[in-house]
Amino acid sequence: MCVKHVPDTAATIRIGTDDCIDENITFIMNPYDENAVEEAVRLKKQTIDADVIAVTLGKGTAEATLRSAMAMGADRAILVKSKSSHDSISTARALCAAIQRDGDPDIVFTGKESVDNEGFQTMFHLAACLDVPVVSNAVKFAMTDTTIRVTCEMEAGDLEHIEMETPCVIGAGKDLNQPSYPKLPDILKARKKPLTEIELSDLGIATPASRVEMIKIESIKEERYPEIIDGTADEIADTIVHVLREKAKVLDG
Amino acid sequence: MTKKYDAIIIGSGVIGCPIAYELAKIGYQTLNVDKLPDAGEGSTAASCAIVRAHYSTEDGVAMAYEGFKYWLDWENYLDHAQDEKGLAKYMNTGSILLKSQGHDWRKVQSNYDAVGVAYEEWSVDKIKEMVPVYDLHEFWPIKRPEDPDFFNEPEKMLEGGIYCPEGGYMSDPALSAHNIMRAAEAKGSEFIFNAEVTAVRSENNQVLGITLNDGTEIDAPIVVNVAGPHSYKINQMAEGVYEECNIKTKALRHEVMHCPAPEGYDYLNDGYHTSDGDVGCYYRPEVGNMFLIGSEDPDCDPQEWVDPDVFYAGKETYERNNQLTVEQWNAQTYRCARRVPDMAIPNQPRGVCDLYDCSDDWIPIYDNSSMKGFYMAIGSSGNQYKNAPVAGHMMAELIDKCEKGLDHDKEPLQYTLPHLGRKIDVGFFSRNREINYNSSFSVNG
Repeated sequence: MCVKHVPDTAATIRIGTDDCIDENITFIMNPYDENAVEEAVRLKKQTIDADVIAVTLGKGTAEATLRSAMAMGADRAILVKSKSSHDSISTARALCAAIQRDGDPDIVFTGKESVDNEGFQTMFHLAACLDVPVVSNAVKFAMTDTTIRVTCEMEAGDLEHIEMETPCVIGAGKDLNQPSYPKLPDILKARKKPLTEIELSDLGIATPASRVEMIKIESIKEERYPEIIDGTADEIADTIVHVLREKAKVLDG
Repeated sequence: MTKKYDAIIIGSGVIGCPIAYELAKIGYQTLNVDKLPDAGEGSTAASCAIVRAHYSTEDGVAMAYEGFKYWLDWENYLDHAQDEKGLAKYMNTGSILLKSQGHDWRKVQSNYDAVGVAYEEWSVDKIKEMVPVYDLHEFWPIKRPEDPDFFNEPEKMLEGGIYCPEGGYMSDPALSAHNIMRAAEAKGSEFIFNAEVTAVRSENNQVLGITLNDGTEIDAPIVVNVAGPHSYKINQMAEGVYEECNIKTKALRHEVMHCPAPEGYDYLNDGYHTSDGDVGCYYRPEVGNMFLIGSEDPDCDPQEWVDPDVFYAGKETYERNNQLTVEQWNAQTYRCARRVPDMAIPNQPRGVCDLYDCSDDWIPIYDNSSMKGFYMAIGSSGNQYKNAPVAGHMMAELIDKCEKGLDHDKEPLQYTLPHLGRKIDVGFFSRNREINYNSSFSVNG
């Protein structure tokens, strides 16, 4: 499965020089990727002879996320090293090349999105590179010898049931499973599991014809204008209805 | 219009509130001022709120044991005052002090005997029976996970532990301070919030009152510094006070971790508060069947002293404010996981980061000062939560006696613990003491 080393969602993100975020903050495995790892590890427990491999594209520090994936049960890991950041096409191409160099996977699990860029693109580009089908936001997954049955949440509450065959790419949603956290003995074992490092430049990736260019990175100022609503219960209720209707415009009529 | 009070208390945390409560009970018109929006919202809110009796000194044990009587009888202590937020709840889990090289447990045991603390000695087998998830090997000395020796296989077993059936924690530390505020208000105390003190005014070495950041002047012949991590800043505002204190206070950044308990183990209901000097941690149950893991400040851990204003404003660079660091997350969770190997360690650090108001010898200062009318209850060093109601009562008596002529610096107040009937020399907590080398120099006090 593909995992990503991302800033902790609880971290205070600051913009440093050169339009980069200040990376002296806690980084963690992308939370949706935890669902991907969990599902892959569960599948391994049901299937004989499966190899669960965690792959990432990132800086050397991304090793921590690969070790986390191995502590959760992945057998080994591949780190495609690059010092710069990449858009989803380049990332997909790099992951595809690293995956194909390693072997022919039956299933590639990813998270449905990464919490840092929230591009929702990489898994689709990856499937295109691998020339396999892809689903996103999988909330149920079952595999028989020949078929994979996946339930995907399209919009809130709108479920789609899909049958597909391997090889394929599955984007794991939050409701797919409850990731089980590693214990200290797992973390210790993960320190010794094999991790292959590949330089991105060694993969000979073709530069895509069109790319996403990052022009500027800015923090959003969240401004709130709280108002205190006073009065009797009836007056307060009237004011709230007025606010919902006129200001928030969430009530009709 | 300048309003006048008998006493102004700077801070409405878990110690500031009971000082107001006890002063109000003996007839003082008090006002608490706090820069935050409500009682207990500062470092009190982040306290682990542990109630245990083991301290390195006999008086320390006595004071903590006295505190139990309040926590166990909370409604009576509050004189049945109503709080719209509900009452904090004392969770009596019982408390295990593991016998280890990290604690002078023999001294604690003899202190227990002297004070009359109820306890049982538990063998390793007994502990294992009561807490099956513990691995009772000895992991001493305390190390950091960056040290390759951290993961060495242990050879010896621990000796056992000392179990106190009375011991546990308060369910919600901020709420407990709020409860005491409501009890104090019922006795006539007043509280104002979102009010930052910018000056302590005095004339001819007599305190006159305080000035707030909006320019408001409030007068009182008594001002008590209970400002928690800001305590040294308040002392600096009172002319000559900071300089005269032989023991100073400063703010220490501290982290507490939350980890899920081993699967199938109902830690929340079956678990014990445990002090584990062997791995330099203490832990207690937390809502969600979590282990709450605190650090006993082993020597190998770096200490980070910060400016409380910078810390709380989140101004300092990087993640050092209100967020856990990966290094300390690993250190504390891995240490606890040596004792509880089946405990889960999430990939994303979770917990609480706040400040201790730490004194030079980790023993609090409960004292008057050379400025007439200026008192301090500071330097709680992460270990005074459990003593808060006792400290409130003791400070009220100290203030009352000094105002009536006691020269506490010359003849220190001998304070009688109301429940235990035991006398404590309040001079022990003097600002002018030499550094007490009997202290554990840690949260253990």
